[in-house]
Amino acid sequence: MSGARPSKRRSTRDKKTSQRVGLVDKAERQQAASARLDRLEDDQDAGEALGHLSDDEFRLDDSDEGAQIGEGRKRKKGGKRPGVKRKTRGQLAEHRGPKAFSTLLDEAELEDAPEDGLSYLTAAAASSVYPARKWCSVCGFAATYKCVRCGSQCCSRKCFGTHTETRCLKFTM
Amino acid sequence: MSDRVVVLDNGGSTCKVGVNLKHQPHSVFPNGTGKIKGERQPLVGDQLLACGDLSTVSIRRPIDRGYLVNSELEREIWARAFRSVLKVDPNSSSLLLTEAPFALPAVEELTAQLVFEDFGFHSCLRVPAATLAQKAHCQDQPGIAANRAACGLVVDAGFSFTHVVPVFDAHAISSGIKRINIGGKLLTNYLKELVSYRSINMMEETYLMEHIKEQACFVSTDLRADLHISRARQSPNRREYVLPDGVNSTTGFLRIPADPLPGSSRQPTVHEKSSEQVLMMNNERFLVPEVLFSPGDLGLQQAGLAEAIVQALEGVHESLHPLLLSNILLTGGSAACPGFAQRLLADLRPLVSDEYEVGVYMPDDPITCAHRGGALLAASPAFGQAAMTRQAYEEEGAARMQTIANDD
Repeated sequence: MSGARPSKRRSTRDKKTSQRVGLVDKAERQQAASARLDRLEDDQDAGEALGHLSDDEFRLDDSDEGAQIGEGRKRKKGGKRPGVKRKTRGQLAEHRGPKAFSTLLDEAELEDAPEDGLSYLTAAAASSVYPARKWCSVCGFAATYKCVRCGSQCCSRKCFGTHTETRCLKFTM
Repeated sequence: MSDRVVVLDNGGSTCKVGVNLKHQPHSVFPNGTGKIKGERQPLVGDQLLACGDLSTVSIRRPIDRGYLVNSELEREIWARAFRSVLKVDPNSSSLLLTEAPFALPAVEELTAQLVFEDFGFHSCLRVPAATLAQKAHCQDQPGIAANRAACGLVVDAGFSFTHVVPVFDAHAISSGIKRINIGGKLLTNYLKELVSYRSINMMEETYLMEHIKEQACFVSTDLRADLHISRARQSPNRREYVLPDGVNSTTGFLRIPADPLPGSSRQPTVHEKSSEQVLMMNNERFLVPEVLFSPGDLGLQQAGLAEAIVQALEGVHESLHPLLLSNILLTGGSAACPGFAQRLLADLRPLVSDEYEVGVYMPDDPITCAHRGGALLAASPAFGQAAMTRQAYEEEGAARMQTIANDD
C-alpha cells in the first residue's frame, strides 16, 4: 500500500518524460565506451561493408560473422546442408571462414592458463595510476562540465548545445 | 639445406619483404587487398602502391588486432609477393617471419599451415619484431654501452598495438613485455571520427585518412601550451588538407590556411573560385597521437606509454633497469610521428629514479628497422640452428591431426 502511493500521485506524462530522458547508468556508459573502442579497431565501417556486398552477388546467410563478407562463393558449398558432419579440416575452414581475433581469444581460454604462464591477457598494460583527463567531447579543449544524462565532458554552453543535439547517448542508444 | 632466406616482417599495415642473399632494397607494401568502388577485382599488396587514387579504396586486412586471422587473404598477398615482387620459389628457400608476442595457439597453427602446407618453405623461424629491431640498432650504434650486451628496451608502436619489449642478450624477456591496445589503426579511425564529427564526413575514406594522419599529426611536447595557442582564431596549429577531387589531384595535400575566414575556424570552407574541398584541422593534429601517451582520454583503462615502460621494468630484474633505460629504441610507424621521442623522454624522466640515465633512440627507418635486423639474423648461423624445418612440422603436424581425429 505504502509503496504504491507515490506512483498514484505522479501524472503519467511525468513518468513517460522521465523515462525518456532518464539517466544512462554506469553500466550502459561503459558499454557504449567499449563499443566505441571496438569500432575504432575496425578495418571498415558498416557502410563500406555493405558497399562490398552490393558489388558482389548478395547472399543471405544464417551466420552473422562480419568477417565472412566477400567469401560467399565458398560458403555456399558447405552451407547447403548444415547438418552434415564434416570430416576434413579443409572443408571445415572453408565453411566457417576466418574468425575474428576476439573469437579466437575466447576459444583459447587463456584465463585457465597455468599459474606461471604469461599470456596475451597478462601482457596488457595495467590501468594508469593517474586519473583520466577531461576533454570536451565536441571541440577537444579542456572541459569543465559534464552532461548529466550521459557523462560526456563539455567545455561550454555552446558545445553542450551541440552535444545534446548530436551525440548525447539518449539518441545513440 | 638452401642458403636463401626470405625475410618477411609481416606487419598489420605493411609487409616488409626481402631476400637475404641479394643486397637489393627490400620492398614495403600494404598487407591487405584494396577494392576500388565499381571494380570487381581487388588490388593485392603492392598493386595498391601503384594505385594513385586514394579515395574510395576499401581495404581488407588479413591481420586483426596484430595477429594473423585470415590466412586465405594472406595467402593471396604472400603469393603475389613471392612470385612477382621477389621472384623466389618458396620450395627452395627458408623463411624468417616476424610474429607479435604471445600469439594464440590458433594463430600459430594458421601461420604454420600457411608457411609449410600452402607455400612449402624448407624451414621457418618466427621471431618477435622487437628483437630484430634491437639487432639492427646494435649494428647501427655499437658505441652505446648497452648495445654491447645486446640489451635494450624496444618500443614498437605499430599499426595494431604498441608493445614495450625488454631485450637482453638478443632475446625478449617475456615477463617484461607490456602491450597498449593502441596502434596506428586506432589513431586513424579516431582522427576519422573527429573530423567526420567536426567538419566533413570522412567515414568512408579510411585509406585516405591514413595518409592525412601521416602528414598532419604530430606529438605535442607541451600539451598545455599547444592547446592554449590552438584556441586562438588564427592558431599556428591550423592546417587544411585539400581533398582529392579526382581531376587536379588524386591524393590531396596539406597546406597552411592562407586567409582565415571571418567565421568559425572549424567550418569547412569551399572556395568559390576553385571549388576545392578542404578539411580543416586544428587541435586534432596533436590530440590524436596524444591518446598513445594517455589512453584514458579515449576511455581505455590502460596506462600511457611512459607508465607502460615503468610497468615493463617491474617484470625485469632490477639490475637490468639502468641498462634498459639507457637504451630505449623506438620503432614502428606510429613512432615516426614528429615529436614522439622528445615527448616520451619528457614523460618518462619524472617516473624513474634520477640515478638512471634515460636514452631514447630513433632509427632513421623506424618502419623497416626490424626487417634490416631480420636480414642480419638470416645471414648468421644462428638462423639455421633455431629454425623449424618442414620435416619437424610434418611430424608434429601429423600428431596434431591425430588429436583432431580423436576428438571426432
